[in-house]
Amino acid sequence: MDSILASSTSTLESVKHFINVACEPHWFMIISVAAFFIFLIGYRFWTKPAVAATIAALVTLFFLASCLDDNFNKIVTKADNVPIVIMMVSVAFLLWLAFRQAAINDERMEKGEPLLEAGADDKVLVWPDLVYSELIALVLCTALLIVWAIVLRAPLEQPANPNVAPNPAKAPWYFLGLQEMLVYFDPWLAGVVLPGLIVVGLIAIPYMDKNPRGNGYYTFKERKFAITSFLFGFIILWVVLIIFGTFLRGPNWNFFGPYEFWDHNRPAALLNTEFHDLFWVNLLGRPLPGHYLMRELPGIILLGGYFLLGPLIMKATVFRKLSRDIGFMRYSMLCVLMLFMLLMPIKMVLRWTLNLHYIVGITEWFLNV
Amino acid sequence: MAKKELITKVWIEEGCIVCDACETAAPDVFEVTEDSCIIRPDALNVEFAKPRSVEIVDAAEECPVDVIKFESETVEVADDAAAEPAAASADAPVAEAKKTAPAEPKKATPAKAPAASSKSKAPSAGEPDPSIQALLEAATSRGGHAGIMKNADDMPASTQDWKAADPKSLPPDARQAKVVEAAQKAKKQSELHRRDFVSNSALAIGWTAFGVGTGISVGPAFGRFMMPNVLEEPDPRIRVGKMDKYLEMVPGGVNEDYKPQGIWMIREEDRIAALNIICTHLGCIPNWLPNDRKFKCPCHGSGYYPDGINFEGPTPRPLERFRIAIKDGIVVVDKSKKYQYELGQWDQPGSFILV
Repeated sequence: MDSILASSTSTLESVKHFINVACEPHWFMIISVAAFFIFLIGYRFWTKPAVAATIAALVTLFFLASCLDDNFNKIVTKADNVPIVIMMVSVAFLLWLAFRQAAINDERMEKGEPLLEAGADDKVLVWPDLVYSELIALVLCTALLIVWAIVLRAPLEQPANPNVAPNPAKAPWYFLGLQEMLVYFDPWLAGVVLPGLIVVGLIAIPYMDKNPRGNGYYTFKERKFAITSFLFGFIILWVVLIIFGTFLRGPNWNFFGPYEFWDHNRPAALLNTEFHDLFWVNLLGRPLPGHYLMRELPGIILLGGYFLLGPLIMKATVFRKLSRDIGFMRYSMLCVLMLFMLLMPIKMVLRWTLNLHYIVGITEWFLNV
Repeated sequence: MAKKELITKVWIEEGCIVCDACETAAPDVFEVTEDSCIIRPDALNVEFAKPRSVEIVDAAEECPVDVIKFESETVEVADDAAAEPAAASADAPVAEAKKTAPAEPKKATPAKAPAASSKSKAPSAGEPDPSIQALLEAATSRGGHAGIMKNADDMPASTQDWKAADPKSLPPDARQAKVVEAAQKAKKQSELHRRDFVSNSALAIGWTAFGVGTGISVGPAFGRFMMPNVLEEPDPRIRVGKMDKYLEMVPGGVNEDYKPQGIWMIREEDRIAALNIICTHLGCIPNWLPNDRKFKCPCHGSGYYPDGINFEGPTPRPLERFRIAIKDGIVVVDKSKKYQYELGQWDQPGSFILV
C-alpha cells in the first residue's frame, strides 16, 4: 500500500515537475504560440460544442486537481489574481463563441447557404428590451460584487514605505503586460514608444485594412491574415504576458512554475550578454572598438536591416499579393507596425535563451534597444 | 372663361439669406442688396405687380427659405385675355392648378405648383424667348423635372455669371448699374483695407512689444511668487556613524543599516562608498540578497553587483553613489551630490573614502 502511494506520489511529482518545466518562459511561449496556431488551423473542429465542452471539462478538471497543490492554490486563489482566472475563462469563452459562429458561417458559405446573420432583425426596443436587460445586468453585477467583496478580502497591505518595495512588486493586473515588456526594453521604449504604437496601431487598423469582408458577419476563412495578426497581438502579446506576470513571476521577479514554492532566496544566474560582445569578442575574437558607434555598428546594421529589408523581403515572399492590393503607403505602415509587434517576442526569446541585454546598446545616449 | 390669380400685395418676411433667386425670377419686383432683399418701389403699386403675378409666384417658390409672401385674388378672365400676359403654352397648367382656389382674396403661403409650370417664364411680347423654349424642352424631355443643362447653347446664365461678367457686356439696365456700383465699392474697400492694415499692424507691434516687456519684467517675479518661500526638505547630509564599523567590513560587504535613509554603505578593497538604493531602471527599491551577493529589484528583475554595477535584468546603468566624507570622526553622506559610473565619476574625490 505504502509503495503504491509512494509511487503514485512520485508520479504526481514528476507530472508537476514536467508542468513546471513547461512553464519556463521560452517553453511556455513556444507552447502558447503552437497552441494558438493549432487552434486557428483546426477552428472548425475544436469549436464543435462537444469538442469544446470536452476541452473545457478537461481544463476545469486539471485546474481543480491542481488546486490540491498548496503552491498552485495559493497563487490562484490570491485575491489579486482571481480576476485573471476569470479573465482567462472569459477570453476562452468569447474566442470560442466568435470562432464557432465563424466556423458555421464559413461552412455555409462553401455550401452556398445563407449566413447566420442573414435576415436577422437587429432592431430592439429600448423599452422594454434594453431597459430590462440593463436592470437585470445591474442587479446581477451588484450582487456579484457584494458577494465577491464579502468572500474575498480586499488585498490591503501595510502602509506604503517609500524605502521598501513589495517583493515581487506587481502592477495592476491589466498593466502586467506592460510591466513584462519593461523587463525586455528600456523604459522609454517599453513604457512610451511601444504602448504608444499599440494605440496608434489600433487606430490605424481601419485605414490600413479597407477590406469590407467580414463586416457584419462572423468569418475566419475570408479574413485569415487580419484575424490571425490581431489575435497574435492580443492573445500572445497581451493576455499571455498578463498570465506570465500574474502566475509565473515570483520573488525578485524570477520565473516560478505553477507548482513551485515562491522561495525568496532561490538563486538565479542571469548574467546579461551584450550583442556587441557576442559579435566582436565571441565571433571575431578581437577587443571591442573604442568608439561607441563603431562598437554598436553590427547591432545598428542588424536592426536597420530588420526594419528596412524586412518589408522588402516580405513583399517579395509572403506579402506579394497583399502589398499589391493595399498600395505602398498602407503596406509600409502595416510592415512597420508588424515588425515592431514581432520585435517583442524576438527580444523576449533572445533574453530567455541568450540573456541578451541589448541589440543596440548606446548607453552613452540612453539609446538602447 | 378661365380663372387667373393676380397678385395684389407682395412682401418679404425676416430671414432672407440674400441668395439672388428672387431677383433672377422677377427682376422687376425684387432687388437684392448687399445684406438683404427688398421690393422695388414700383412693385408696391398694385397695378405694377398684377401683370407680374407669375414671376412673383415663381420667385416665392424659388426662395429657399420661403420668406416671400403675397396676397392674391382670383379673377375670371377671358381665355384670350388669360393667355395674353403669360406664355400660352406654359400658363395653362397654372390656370388649371389655381382653379380650385377660393375667389376671395387670401393670404397665401407659397403653394408648391408643379415643377413644369414653375419654371415657365413670361416673355415680354410676341416671339417666344429661345432660352425659355430650351428650358421648356429640357423640362419635358426629363419627365417634367426641369433643370438648366450646363454647356448647352441658349441657356440663361445664372446670376453669379452676370455678376462676374464685364459690366459693359451686360444689357443696359439696373443690373448693370448695380454691378458697376459694386465694383466701385469693392475698389474703395480695398483702399480702406490697405490703410487699415498699416494702422492695424502698428497696433499689433505696439501691443506685442508691450506684452513682451510686461512678460520680461513681471514674469520672473511671478515665477518667484509661485515658488514656496520655505521648502520643507530633510537635510541631505546624513551621519552614518563612526568609521570603525566600516573598517571591520570585508571587501564586497554591504551594510544595510541606513537603507531607511536611502543609503547602502559598501566596502571595496581599498575604500568605502555610499550607494543610492534607487534602481536606475524605473526607480524601485532593490533588495540585497546575501546568498546571491547581489542587489535584485523586485519590479523588473534588475540585478547589481555589491559595488553597484548592473549585470542582469533590464537596467541600463549602475546604481548611483553619494558624496561621502569624514567630519569630526563621523562618516557623513551628502545625498544632494551624486556620482555616476557611466560618466566616469566614481573616481572623483568625494565619491569614496580611502581606508
